[in-house]
Amino acid sequence: MIIDINFIGLIIASIMASAVPLILASCGELITERSGVLNLGVEGMMIIGAISGFALMTVTGSLIIAIFGAMLAGVLISTIFAFLTQTLITNHVATGLALTIFGIGISAMIGKNFVGIPGKEFPVLFEGFKDTIPLLGPILFGHSIVFYFAFALPFITSYFLKKTKIGLIVRAVGDSPESASNQGINVRLVRYACILYGGAMSGLAGAYLSMIYTPQWIENMTGGRGWIALALVVFSTWNPIKILIGAMIFGGLTIIQFHMQAIGVRIPVQFLTALPYIVTIIVLVVISRDSRKIRLSTPSSLGKSFYKDN
Amino acid sequence: MNTNLKISNVTKIYPGCVANDNVSLEFNSGKIYALLGENGAGKSTLVKILSGVIIPDEGEIYLNENNLKLNSPSDAKKNDIGMVFQHFNLFETLSVFENLIIDSDEQRESLREKIDTIMKKYNFSIDLDIPVLNLSAGQKQKVEIIRCLIRSPKVLIMDEPTSVLTEQETSELFLSLKKFSEEGILIIYITHKLKEVMQLCDEVAVMRRGKLVSVSEIKNENIESLANKMVGQNLKTIKKKIAKTSSDQLIKITNLNFTSEDPFETNLIDINFSVNRGECLGIAGISGNGQSELFQVLSGEIISEKNSIEFNKNYIGDLNPQERREYLMAFSPEDRLEQAAIPQMKIFENVALNNFKSSNFFNNGLINENKIKEHSKKIISDFSVNTDNIELKSQFLSGGNLQKLIIGRELITSPDLLICFNPTWGLDVGAINYIHETLIKINEQNKSIILISTDTDELLKLSDKISVIHRGKLSKIMNTEEVTSEKLGILMGGAN
Repeated sequence: MIIDINFIGLIIASIMASAVPLILASCGELITERSGVLNLGVEGMMIIGAISGFALMTVTGSLIIAIFGAMLAGVLISTIFAFLTQTLITNHVATGLALTIFGIGISAMIGKNFVGIPGKEFPVLFEGFKDTIPLLGPILFGHSIVFYFAFALPFITSYFLKKTKIGLIVRAVGDSPESASNQGINVRLVRYACILYGGAMSGLAGAYLSMIYTPQWIENMTGGRGWIALALVVFSTWNPIKILIGAMIFGGLTIIQFHMQAIGVRIPVQFLTALPYIVTIIVLVVISRDSRKIRLSTPSSLGKSFYKDN
Repeated sequence: MNTNLKISNVTKIYPGCVANDNVSLEFNSGKIYALLGENGAGKSTLVKILSGVIIPDEGEIYLNENNLKLNSPSDAKKNDIGMVFQHFNLFETLSVFENLIIDSDEQRESLREKIDTIMKKYNFSIDLDIPVLNLSAGQKQKVEIIRCLIRSPKVLIMDEPTSVLTEQETSELFLSLKKFSEEGILIIYITHKLKEVMQLCDEVAVMRRGKLVSVSEIKNENIESLANKMVGQNLKTIKKKIAKTSSDQLIKITNLNFTSEDPFETNLIDINFSVNRGECLGIAGISGNGQSELFQVLSGEIISEKNSIEFNKNYIGDLNPQERREYLMAFSPEDRLEQAAIPQMKIFENVALNNFKSSNFFNNGLINENKIKEHSKKIISDFSVNTDNIELKSQFLSGGNLQKLIIGRELITSPDLLICFNPTWGLDVGAINYIHETLIKINEQNKSIILISTDTDELLKLSDKISVIHRGKLSKIMNTEEVTSEKLGILMGGAN
């Protein structure tokens, strides 16, 4: 069998495409967690983003409104989380779980009217260059703007955290909200902002699924990707670049095991389906072994409520 | 330029406690002021009001005749009031430089230059690019001081700054503070250590139970007069009788090592010592040099090799704390509310926690509540814990009462060995005296103590033998009579 080199390019491109929603949601959650907030509602925020994007696209016909609307929907639902955990000081874990259940429920309710409606084609960039370079052409060109944004995001996030003042403040708040507050930093405000940003990115990840990746609405279409995104954040030890690696491995193995099943490799299907989860975790654990570095990048106050005593 | 800071009629009331009761004070630059008081006297509340962390219910603060409205820490900073907190306000995982730049509006390069100038001027040497968690306590404090100095403050407040420092670091700090004072910075020094007040300060204000008791010049005071003002009564001094020498060995530690994966912990390297019956072995050191790990290894929270700990002719290195208790060991950890007692549980429930097998607190898996309550009442009366409500949640006990309860809980089973870690940490003078008396009594009953403490005076007072722990290594064991606090200070700093 002769495999066309461009075919390999296409497979790699499809792996990258499947990694996009994971990267977006993980990088958003990473910022949230770096500020010390554990938001387990990623799955819920993603599915809200997915239905909002799809519904707005169908109703208004405008892709721009749909994309930004999905992000706004993510922001709105994360505002509920922020209000509960930061203002009413509820438990992060319980509130996050509730958010996911809420998101899945309400998206199914709104989505009833959108089942079976075909999506719209999302414009891609640099389509003409696709055939100019073998192998690299299909990898680099002919993708949506969201795709390019997703692959730039880990680097932007890394730069933001390491090099900017606001990034430093986010890390400081996650390290010790008490110290930050005594330094005159408004901890609550910083955490609100980080939660809302995480919501926007999850919303965008959801919209990517329902508008670009598989342009249609199916109930529960995020299919656990929110949980994978959460796991990626932890196993990458809060490092955006490792999130990128983890998302690629996960996406890669998901695609490859489909092909293996199709070819009829004699390995139990259950094992193949489980493979991406197992390998991703093993790889991330191995590349993040250094316990000193883990200590330095783990937000010390993660998941703990901050009370200001006055 | 002279700085004048005036506190006028400040009152702060918490539910059930008046933290500051109509306090008025006046400070002028060129002098170093001590604010002296026991724990809970209200001095920390007062300085937190000055630094904008707490907003007073009533009262005004004037800096050079200007009425300050301090609603947040940034207001204090804007008004040139700098504060070094007792518990450092540093971000452990960020680098030193990141810690410093975070509340500065300056550019990286110009800030770096400024920090370098400050460090040169005061002879500080700290690597700016390593994470704060790698610094010693003394260095962390210097980072805090640099953070204040960057803003060229008019007022610098130091809250219990020496609690984590060695003698040498303390004298370095005092030199720096004197230099700051000469340069016109008004210094307010909060402490409960009388010696330091006499050594460093020009004027002293004493607080007791939220009220200002006296303001006087140091030259008119001495340690006893200040102590009596602080406590409000005359204190008896306690002293240990020279112990009769016993050669009956109770516990022996041989070649004990502990290697941790956690970068926040210290490795223990080749620990060897033994304690005889009726003896108190003191282990001195600056906090963070392996004391906590040593305590955990001795108590069985960390299991070690079976043969490394020999207790009463049994090898017990691989036993857990509960099993070690069966061999008549008892433990009083440093952290009263997290390790020793469970804050949300009632007094009698906490009493039941360390007595599993040898007591009859439990019948067939059921709790024998009456028995436990009876037992708890006995502890409360025997060890003068100041409450009669054994249903009270432990978190509502004061530090002193909680410590008495814990020591009482441990001692009522009459153990052969008590291992305590900073037993008087943060307690007021009265409670400290009580604990010290109790510990001396244990030795008189021919029972042994291992006292791990960061308080040198306490160690010199109570121990028969002393060793110093530094970076996980023990120094040789010395007889207390041969040791001075200066000598300990040198060993604590790592010299031989």
